[in-house]
Amino acid sequence: MSVVQKAGQSSKWYLPGIVTGLGITLKHMIKNIVSKKQMVTLNYPEEKYEYSSRFKGNHILTVKKDGNIRCTACMLCATNCPAECIKITADENPDPKVEKFPIAYEIDILRCVFCGFCEEACPVDAIRLGPEWQTPGLSGTNFTYDINHLAYRPSLKGGIQSHVDDEERHKEGI
Amino acid sequence: MPKCTINGKEVEVKDGQTIMEAFYKTEEPIAHYCYHPGLSVAGVCRLCICDIEGNPRPQIACNTVVTEGMKVTNKSEKIKDGVKWVLDFHLINHPLDCPICDQAGECGLQEQYMEFGKYDPEMAEHKVKKHKVVDLGPTVVLDSERCVLCSRCVRFTDEVSKTSELGIFNRGDRSEIGTVEGKKLDNKYSLNTVDICPVGALTSKDFRFRQRVWYLKDSETVCNGCSTGCNVKVYFNKEGFFRVKPVYNEKVNGHWMCDEGRDIYKFLNKDARFTTGIVRQNGAQTEMAPGALAKELHKEIKAKKDQVAMVLTGQYTVEEYEAMVSSMVKEFGVTKIYHWVNNKESFDSFDGLLLRGDKNPNTKGLLQVLEKHQIKGVWGDLEAGLKNKSIKTLIVAGPENKAVFDNLESYVKLFSQAEHLVWLGAAKVDSLLSLNNKVSIVPLKTFVEKEGTFVNAAGLEQKFKRATTVVHEALTLTETAILMSGKNLTVPMAQIEKPAFLENKRRQDQVMLENRKKNEFVFKRGSL
Ligand code: SF4
Ligand code: SF4
Ligand code: SF4
Ligand code: SF4
Ligand code: FES
Repeated sequence: MSVVQKAGQSSKWYLPGIVTGLGITLKHMIKNIVSKKQMVTLNYPEEKYEYSSRFKGNHILTVKKDGNIRCTACMLCATNCPAECIKITADENPDPKVEKFPIAYEIDILRCVFCGFCEEACPVDAIRLGPEWQTPGLSGTNFTYDINHLAYRPSLKGGIQSHVDDEERHKEGI
Repeated sequence: MPKCTINGKEVEVKDGQTIMEAFYKTEEPIAHYCYHPGLSVAGVCRLCICDIEGNPRPQIACNTVVTEGMKVTNKSEKIKDGVKWVLDFHLINHPLDCPICDQAGECGLQEQYMEFGKYDPEMAEHKVKKHKVVDLGPTVVLDSERCVLCSRCVRFTDEVSKTSELGIFNRGDRSEIGTVEGKKLDNKYSLNTVDICPVGALTSKDFRFRQRVWYLKDSETVCNGCSTGCNVKVYFNKEGFFRVKPVYNEKVNGHWMCDEGRDIYKFLNKDARFTTGIVRQNGAQTEMAPGALAKELHKEIKAKKDQVAMVLTGQYTVEEYEAMVSSMVKEFGVTKIYHWVNNKESFDSFDGLLLRGDKNPNTKGLLQVLEKHQIKGVWGDLEAGLKNKSIKTLIVAGPENKAVFDNLESYVKLFSQAEHLVWLGAAKVDSLLSLNNKVSIVPLKTFVEKEGTFVNAAGLEQKFKRATTVVHEALTLTETAILMSGKNLTVPMAQIEKPAFLENKRRQDQVMLENRKKNEFVFKRGSL
């Protein structure tokens, strides 16, 4: 590809542009000094930004009313995932009302592109993308999140409850 | 031989055949659940309705015999609407189970709904709840809610396996499939009910929840579980093999296969296999590349050819026997070749449907090859030879499917009398790894990893193709024979006539890389 630029007349007069730019910077500086509350930048990492709960960050596996994992191991999320980073191992649950449940659910978070397709595919609101987004780690950190981390990590305070409940569904006759 | 017209296509059927069979023949799509070509006609699902010209009311295709000049269609608006309503009735009490239903992805309801249904359900009543996760027997689990009461499974146990364990109990919307009191669905063909169940009501305990079906690839092959040689499909993905299902072949197995044959996938997976060549000497064990190991055997066999004997099981292909036996006879002059028969007592038994006592897929093929090379060794010679030490090196092409060789251990003990036991085989036999004499183990490929021919008990030659490769290092018996006779393997390469980029094929005006480079990085620096 050749890069060709025409020599225009205006580009020779660069001084007015620089002065305007400096003026804008100065205006913002004064504004920030006068009213600190309206400042748009943060002192990261001491201050952190709270995204809305709809933000698509790290995954959460929701739980049922009894605290068990909601996921039914249908593997629709894994099928829909474009990055192929979800790995589920299903097994038979001793409770016949549950039948199928995951004994292992792993998300390779470094492969995940946070598209939210897993959330969309899930028929029972078992997986959500949460507002959590800062998950750095030192070298050697395990970035493959397992079922316990996804459902019961401390920041979830005992688990997020799913909207879909089988018992309510049965009561309604569906 | 009446002729009829199905959706405008003319077709000739045999006397007494039904419209459904005419539909099958023309390959026109028709919705149906209860009709199965291998069972009697029940006519209970009412989904196969079609219009016959001159007949005011729709008729079911599966139970209406074709008459001369019949004009049948299922493309009319009336029929389409009718099928939709019948499907709606079928689904009134159907649970929302697809996410946890093993049938999802190959389900008759899902398919027919997408093809003929696509309505919004208008049922306001509560769904009828039935029994879920019912343990029918050692192999099958029933979910009554998912059942569409097509009665295929009942007819199967009545007509094919002739065991009559299943029945439909209660009436109306409370009807349920169940086993007769005190009985379990426990016969040698029980898993066929899972195959013919058009929905996920019957599921196989072995396959339950192991994989979603859309993650599986399939490949047609011939079952190596017994000498009937049923045509089967094996289902696999990169994690291994997961299940086996029958494929229709009128001459061999019809629509069915036995339950035992469905276990053949288990010995194909890596954890049940020898994966590298192993040499054991004086209790010390070294691993070796299988090819190098096979090649090393050449010198030994050549030097001691009078003391070499070979044992073959009926689990390899005709081509492999031919290569092995001819290389043994022609290259080395070894004629002490013996046929290993595992279960002598029940070898010739047959249960009248499919199962045969001979648990090897290719005994006939082996005998043919042995006869061709005029080898007449009897088993007693081998035993005597091992005893009086006239056989020092014994080459055994062991069983792939060791589950059917129930007295394998005692045979291993017998073979271990030889000074040097060369074991060619796919299945991992642990007792070999505790022997004290010299043992060389060459891992072989299983029947799904190669192509070849099996000759079944009826003498029918069946060719099959390779499905996939599980153990890449493993050799076939043919390859072992070539290596053992001191030759090298030639890898067939795709023949390219001329190099892909040819000077003279270049376009006249093609810009060469050298020139392109020059063009690309010309900047007009002065004006920046
Ligand atoms: S957000 Fe997208 S990439 Fe990440 S796990 Fe879900 S489906 Fe896969
Ligand atoms: S998270 Fe949802 S979509 Fe994924 S396996 Fe569990 S139930 Fe199915
Ligand atoms: S039988 Fe078919 S439609 Fe019914 S739950 Fe199973 S997959 Fe879904
Ligand atoms: S269990 Fe399956 S095969 Fe048997 S009647 Fe019900 S739907 Fe038909
Ligand atoms: S297929 Fe004809 S009634 Fe079921």
